[in-house]
Amino acid sequence: MVYIVSWDEFVDRSVQLFRADPESTRYVVKYRHCDGKLVLKVTDNKECLKFKTDQAQEAKKMEKLNNIFFTLMARGPDVDLSEVTGKEPMETQPTKKGRGRKQ
Amino acid sequence: MHRPPNKFSPPGGFRRADHQIPYLLCDSREKKSLQCLRICKEYSSEVLLQLDPFLNELTSMFEKSKEKGSVWVTLKRSSLKSKLQKRKLSSAGESIEYRCLIRATDAKKTISTSVGAKDHQRFQASYATILKAHMTALKKRERKDRKKSTEAEKKQGTSTTTKPKKL
Repeated sequence: MVYIVSWDEFVDRSVQLFRADPESTRYVVKYRHCDGKLVLKVTDNKECLKFKTDQAQEAKKMEKLNNIFFTLMARGPDVDLSEVTGKEPMETQPTKKGRGRKQ
Repeated sequence: MHRPPNKFSPPGGFRRADHQIPYLLCDSREKKSLQCLRICKEYSSEVLLQLDPFLNELTSMFEKSKEKGSVWVTLKRSSLKSKLQKRKLSSAGESIEYRCLIRATDAKKTISTSVGAKDHQRFQASYATILKAHMTALKKRERKDRKKSTEAEKKQGTSTTTKPKKL
């Protein structure tokens, strides 16, 4: 199993994978306290993306990814992720232009 | 494509299709694995819980697995309905409500829960707290040798030990 080295690449590819097939994609987290290792896996049973780490820093990034997946899975793959992390939005939301300034 | 269970594979086997391989067509190694899977299945049945009991059980799983063992948490989108029910709903024109299925296992028992769109924010927060509290064995980046390089790294990454310096 080839592990992805770059965190951002892992996140982008896993979100892509999920959006391509939300029915069969799953996100697995394995934590071993005795070894101090964390392994993340995203697979749709055809393709598998893995990321492993022993850094506490990456665990923080993993929490953000958890939030992303919770949102995607609970609300649907078309959800705009910018509210979660400021990542690429699916739909271009028109910016609210206020008519005049509120005073 | 059948892989025998090893320490990296999730307990109870990889995919449900594996259990459907006709027994007579397997070779002896596969037969043994299928037997193991069947035994595993008998002992480890998945328990579906409500959100808060799930979180409590997850906490105890982490605590039990401190000396040795792993904890697996799987997230998957699911409507919790069978194919037949889904077909009925879609033909009736009703939208299928999806939930996020969360499974946790420590190779001895499996617990699961499902989270809908309404409660996922609350669950997210509690879940993150549990993870933060228990994933303490991971290494923290501490490079006290070169002060300049640490300052540069503090700007790029986030570290728990950083003290923001006033500019």
